[in-house]
Amino acid sequence: MTQGEVINALARRRMLAAWMAREIVPHEAGMRAWLARARVSAEDIDELMQEAYCQIVSLPSVDHITAPRAYFMASLRHMMLRRIKRAQVVALDAIGEIENWRDESMVSPEDEAGSRITCQRVMAIIAALPERCRRVVELRKIEGWSQKDIAAHLGMSEKAVEKQVWVGVRAIRAAWASAEAQSAQRMDQAERGMGAGR
Amino acid sequence: MTPATEHDRDMAARFVARMDGENWGEADEAELQLWLDGGAGREGLLLQVHAAWVAATPVAQEEIVEEAPAAPAFWRRRGFLGAMAASVAAVVGAGRWLDARSSFATRVGEIRRVPLADGSVMTINSGSELTVRMAKGSREIEIAQGEAWFDVAKDAARPFTVAAGKVRARAVGTAFSVRRRETVESWSEEDESLRLRLVAGERALLSDTAVVHHESDRASAVDRSLAWRSGMIDLNGTSLSEAADEFNRYNQRQIIIADPVVADEQFDGLFRINDPQGFAEAVKASLNVGIDESDPRVIRLVKSK
Repeated sequence: MTQGEVINALARRRMLAAWMAREIVPHEAGMRAWLARARVSAEDIDELMQEAYCQIVSLPSVDHITAPRAYFMASLRHMMLRRIKRAQVVALDAIGEIENWRDESMVSPEDEAGSRITCQRVMAIIAALPERCRRVVELRKIEGWSQKDIAAHLGMSEKAVEKQVWVGVRAIRAAWASAEAQSAQRMDQAERGMGAGR
Repeated sequence: MTPATEHDRDMAARFVARMDGENWGEADEAELQLWLDGGAGREGLLLQVHAAWVAATPVAQEEIVEEAPAAPAFWRRRGFLGAMAASVAAVVGAGRWLDARSSFATRVGEIRRVPLADGSVMTINSGSELTVRMAKGSREIEIAQGEAWFDVAKDAARPFTVAAGKVRARAVGTAFSVRRRETVESWSEEDESLRLRLVAGERALLSDTAVVHHESDRASAVDRSLAWRSGMIDLNGTSLSEAADEFNRYNQRQIIIADPVVADEQFDGLFRINDPQGFAEAVKASLNVGIDESDPRVIRLVKSK
């Protein structure tokens, strides 16, 4: 592989990740809730999600996808139906839930709330990181500094910064993926009446 | 597919952290490929972790807009992002993490009317992509592609800003339309960002090159270019090539002007947006050109024999 190919491969990965971050991640909580309503277990939801992400990676390009959320949900739905066929014994309302799904391109208030809470949750996760890691992640994610700049600023090696970013990535991934944590948070939020506004 | 193990997740996070830095090289790519090939579903897991990391910041979400940019453009873009991030921080302050952000996209031929949380209404034209962010102290729309018309609810405390490329249009309570045009011109010497005030009936056409077409007194011209809101295209002395571009925005079936001689001919008429065929027939009748429909995906306007 030439240096140019390496750069291209990296650029493609970054672009795809940014596209997913913009188009899919904000709706992930909603999609997980939808799968849960169709009686899919938490582990199976994780698997389906990962499979759908794989399907996106396998595409030569995502440029043709004009409604990413609908596309992703259709892909989940397809994989789920395939699974149900394999499973043979099925709860009928599971199919009902999938079949009832319509292509709602509008973002529902539920989804909006979902992504907003996730953002707060990420903030909470960042705040709860060990001191050194928290400073690195804040500079990287909130201030938008490069790892290199952070290393110079904090007097650390770039490898050491990367290590702290790694810890941050793990923590944030866990925050996004954890549907249970989100719904718990949401219920908590509801109990406090949303009055506090944060 | 087997579910991801804790170790797999760890590895994915490690690669994402390394890709997040500036030192990614051949050895890293080779190591990543080896890992990806080592288990089914790892590609998906990597993307999942990567996307989660990118999504965890509003600033990073702004970075996605363009294709891998060349070095000079990259720095310009960075400068602009910096300015935007700063202004967002200034207006919203500590509340920036609470912003509600949503994205909208319309397909070719689709026009969508979307009421916003603040009482404003936006009408998104065909083939457009935009992001809406409502915050306590600001209302921000970023148009990544295409055009939208805004009927803005009055709220002086929350300025309504529409950004398209490098340009931002700001209104407090009025109705206006913003269209982002992709041009191939080189970067001009214009400022990094340009602010303009719009009052009712005004139109601003914005491009990445910060060229602003600004019409205030010609309400009729505005009405005409907003004909798409009622499913029509209103051409008035428009050149044939511009008219074709206009139809091509809305229809999968594209019009190609194969005869350069007629490209600059002017054309008038009111046409249905989804009827490029009707338009082509009208052109054929009035400008004496031929129509070649041998390829069902396109309508070619050719020299008449």
